[in-house]
Amino acid sequence: MELFVLEHKRLWRTPRVWLCVLLCFVYSVIWGSVIWYQWPGFGTKNDSTNMYDNNFDGYSAIRGYQEEFSKFGDYWTDETLQKMVEEYQSYDVMNLPGLQSKGDWSLASDILRDLYPELKDPENQQYQPLILYADTTKLTDFYQRRADLLEHTLETTRQNEGMTEADKQMLLDMNSQIEEPWPYEWTQGWNDLSFGWSKLAPYLAIALAFLFSGEWHNNTAPLLHTTKYGWKKLARVKVLNGLAFALEFYLLIAGGKVLVQLIYLGTSGWDLPIQYISLLAVAPWNMLQAELYQLAFGLIGVFGYAGLVMLMSALVKNNVLALVFSLAFVYVPDVLGRYLPKWLMAVSQYLPLVGNSYDYLNYNIFHIFGMSVWSPWMLITVPFLIGVVCIPFVILKWSRRQKA
Amino acid sequence: MELSIDRLTKHYGRKIAVDCVSAKLTPGVYGLLGANGAGKTTLMRMLCAILEPTSGEVRLDGKEIAAMGEEYRDILGYLPQDFGYYPTYTAAEFLSYIASLKGIPRDRAGKRVKELLGMLDLSAVADKKIRTFSGGMKQRVGIAQALLNNPQVLILDEPTSGLDPKERVRLRNLLSEYAGNKIVILSTHIVSDVEAIADKVLIMNAGQFITSGTVEELAEQVKGKVWELTVPNEQARLWQADFTVANYRHEGEDVVLRIISEEEPDPGAVPCKPTLDDAYLYHFGSKEA
Repeated sequence: MELFVLEHKRLWRTPRVWLCVLLCFVYSVIWGSVIWYQWPGFGTKNDSTNMYDNNFDGYSAIRGYQEEFSKFGDYWTDETLQKMVEEYQSYDVMNLPGLQSKGDWSLASDILRDLYPELKDPENQQYQPLILYADTTKLTDFYQRRADLLEHTLETTRQNEGMTEADKQMLLDMNSQIEEPWPYEWTQGWNDLSFGWSKLAPYLAIALAFLFSGEWHNNTAPLLHTTKYGWKKLARVKVLNGLAFALEFYLLIAGGKVLVQLIYLGTSGWDLPIQYISLLAVAPWNMLQAELYQLAFGLIGVFGYAGLVMLMSALVKNNVLALVFSLAFVYVPDVLGRYLPKWLMAVSQYLPLVGNSYDYLNYNIFHIFGMSVWSPWMLITVPFLIGVVCIPFVILKWSRRQKA
Repeated sequence: MELSIDRLTKHYGRKIAVDCVSAKLTPGVYGLLGANGAGKTTLMRMLCAILEPTSGEVRLDGKEIAAMGEEYRDILGYLPQDFGYYPTYTAAEFLSYIASLKGIPRDRAGKRVKELLGMLDLSAVADKKIRTFSGGMKQRVGIAQALLNNPQVLILDEPTSGLDPKERVRLRNLLSEYAGNKIVILSTHIVSDVEAIADKVLIMNAGQFITSGTVEELAEQVKGKVWELTVPNEQARLWQADFTVANYRHEGEDVVLRIISEEEPDPGAVPCKPTLDDAYLYHFGSKEA
């Protein structure tokens, strides 16, 4: 334990490490959350369309949106859609109210586009959005229309992309668990649940890539290897230290973002179904469950990536190479993705911090040993397993006597 | 206690760094003398069980050191040739950290760290960052860490490099005092360091022990082969080209050369008492040395 505390202190007092953490915190939490909510994200708009010309009033604006849209009722029904479209059409288009930019008008507009395409005026030469002129009396059968469109979409996917009938049925079964009518509150605050996990990779890599290779860089490795605990025990302590750092780093960033989200959005909207983000999603999840998935995805990704980075650090005795190889795991699939074979691209998505944390909005299913596994479960299992598999190799590599 | 080196060999590809070396080391100070690239560091790394030999083994009281693992490392102190440290650590913090790695309980470690800092004249800078230290001070921190666990086997690779003459004398005294019933192996290419403290000297060249013995025994090996010759200044270079010259001293218009030679180099040459330096040069020749 004493060794762990000493190692952990040593890691944290390295200027490179705390600078990385500080930078990441400022970028992700201060800029990416606090300032984002307050200014470009939710600040009220002036005349300009540039979000950086917004007013610095996100907090009060969000309260305004939550208040304004509460008048449309507690559940999403045909009447909700009709009232929303009517209200929008009652505005002078050239002089929309200040609060409209982040209102649920885009939600209504998307629903009209997807579920009521027959209302679109083919003669409309000005390419006005349907919400401006749709006949509100025809906005009926919302849930039935959604079910029909989902059935059609899944069938098209089955025919064109090799989805099996069983997969399709599995997805429809999931969809059937979504309770109707959907609860309703202002939804736009929940439109972006992404925590941008891949952005943590460079900071984590810079902090951990030198954990083992740094000992060679500092020339301390021969010394450490001749101390009583210098081999396996130190390797275990270092691995534990790396994982503890990854957890602390994650808690700091994720915790900070969740706290800011709680301050700005509150708990209002936690029970909204994720279908407000993607109309044809089949997961019977609400926003809170989706957010918990995102947090789990991030935690697993951070742990898995920490394992990979430590493996690189133990395998390569050079700091720069350890860092480059660590970063390659995240950025090579991103940069070279389009040039990779499709199967390799698909496999690369399961590397820690690489995959799509929003995959619960898609229909990807894997068949493993005769079982159908929904892709989001794979996305939080495989990166974890990658991290777990790396750890014994890290210890073995660091503990092994040198051959040269 | 006996550390036995049995036909120890290390190859790096086709290069032979250590070539079937054998020795039995009992408590005492051993000086490993050899030119750069002679294989001293490779041998020491194998003696520390950091480096895997290509063949052969090292045993401590009959037990193979790699198999002894923690048990061996518990009684081992090692100063690597290029001693590494953590730049942001103070001397005291670094030593406490290494003490923890060596499994020394915290209360004992604190006392030992203080004691060693005092012994190595580092008390005044104990709380200063190592990166601000001079080369000699860093080397002393390295020596202190090697001594932390009061090792029975102390291996020091070039411990005197970077030390000024006063520090070298202090280290020699410290090691002489420390050795007692322990095995101390130090490698160097500074002959006078070995001469002053080593009970036994092992001279290494091309990965092999070419000779070994006490300082007196090694000097005895070159008895009758060391000469002093006074020559005019302008002839000195010609003599240097033809013989191994251990020393070159001006005396008025002339030069006194200390020549290592099997035969009397000149009827005017006077035989003189050999030293370890002469023995070293005899085995290596002035160029290799």
